[in-house]
Amino acid sequence: MSERHEVISAFIDDEPFDPQELASVLSEPSGRALLIDLVALRHIVQPDDVALSGALTSRTSSRLRAVGVAAALVLALGGGYLMGQSRSGAIPADAPAPTRIVEGPAAWQAPLPRSAQ
Amino acid sequence: MSTDRDLLFAHYHGRLLRYFCRAVGRLDVARDLTQDVFLRVSRTAIPSGADVDVSAWLFRIARNLALDHHRTRRRHPDPSPLVDDRTRAAPQDVAFAVNTALASLPALDRDVFLMREVAGLSYDEIAGACELTPDAVRSRIHRTRLELRSQLAAPISARQSTPMRRSGRDT
Repeated sequence: MSERHEVISAFIDDEPFDPQELASVLSEPSGRALLIDLVALRHIVQPDDVALSGALTSRTSSRLRAVGVAAALVLALGGGYLMGQSRSGAIPADAPAPTRIVEGPAAWQAPLPRSAQ
Repeated sequence: MSTDRDLLFAHYHGRLLRYFCRAVGRLDVARDLTQDVFLRVSRTAIPSGADVDVSAWLFRIARNLALDHHRTRRRHPDPSPLVDDRTRAAPQDVAFAVNTALASLPALDRDVFLMREVAGLSYDEIAGACELTPDAVRSRIHRTRLELRSQLAAPISARQSTPMRRSGRDT
C-alpha cells in the first residue's frame, strides 16, 4: 500500500481529502478492499459498548440517586415549613370570646377564712 | 468553575473511558485512570482562550497517565491476563487478538490511532495532544491501520460478513 492510500484514511475519518485522489484510489480493487478493511478494523477495535454503558450508568444512577435524595429532603423541609406557617396563621393571638357565661354561687367567690389558707 | 468541570466530565468521560479501555486493555484500570484524569483536572485551572484546545489538553493528561501505567506495569508485571472479559468487542479471541496487536505497536502509534478510532478526536486535536503536526498524525494513523490490518486479517475478514457502519458503532 502506498502513501496514496492515506486519502482513504482521511475519508473515513471525516478529514479534508482530495476527491480526485480518492476517486483514483477507489478505482483500483486494492483501494476498495482497503476501504472495507479499514471500516471493519474500526468495528473490531471498539470497546464493548455494553460494558462501557454499565460503567457509565452506574455513575449516572448513583448521581441520580443523590439528586433524588436531595430533592426529597428539600421537599420535606419546605413542606414542613409551609405547613407550620399555615398553622401558626390559623391560631388567633387572643382568646376567643365566651359563648356562655356560667354564674357561680356567691359563696364560691367569697374569700376563704385565714385559718384555712 | 464547577460547571465547567461538570461540562468537561459530561462531554469527555465516555471518550476517555473508551480510550483507556483499549490503551490499557482492562476496564477496571480504565475506570481508575479516567477518574485520575478528572482528579487532576479538579486540582488545576482549566486552560481557556481562543487558541486553547481542551480536548488536546485532556488527552495529553490521559496519555501521560496511560504511559505511566505501562511503565509501572513493566516494572511490576501484572499476573492477570491482558484480556478482560468485560472489554471484549466481540468473541474473546477477537478481543485478545486486538489487545495483543495494539500492545505490539509503538506507544505513540497506538495512542494516535486510539485517540482517532475509539475516542473520536480530530487530527488537529490529536496533534495537540501528542505534540505532532496534523500531517504527521494523518500519516501515522494510516501506517498504524495498515499494520493492524495485516495483524488482524482474520477478524477483519470475519467482521465483513455482517453489516457495518462507517462510524464503527453498532448501537
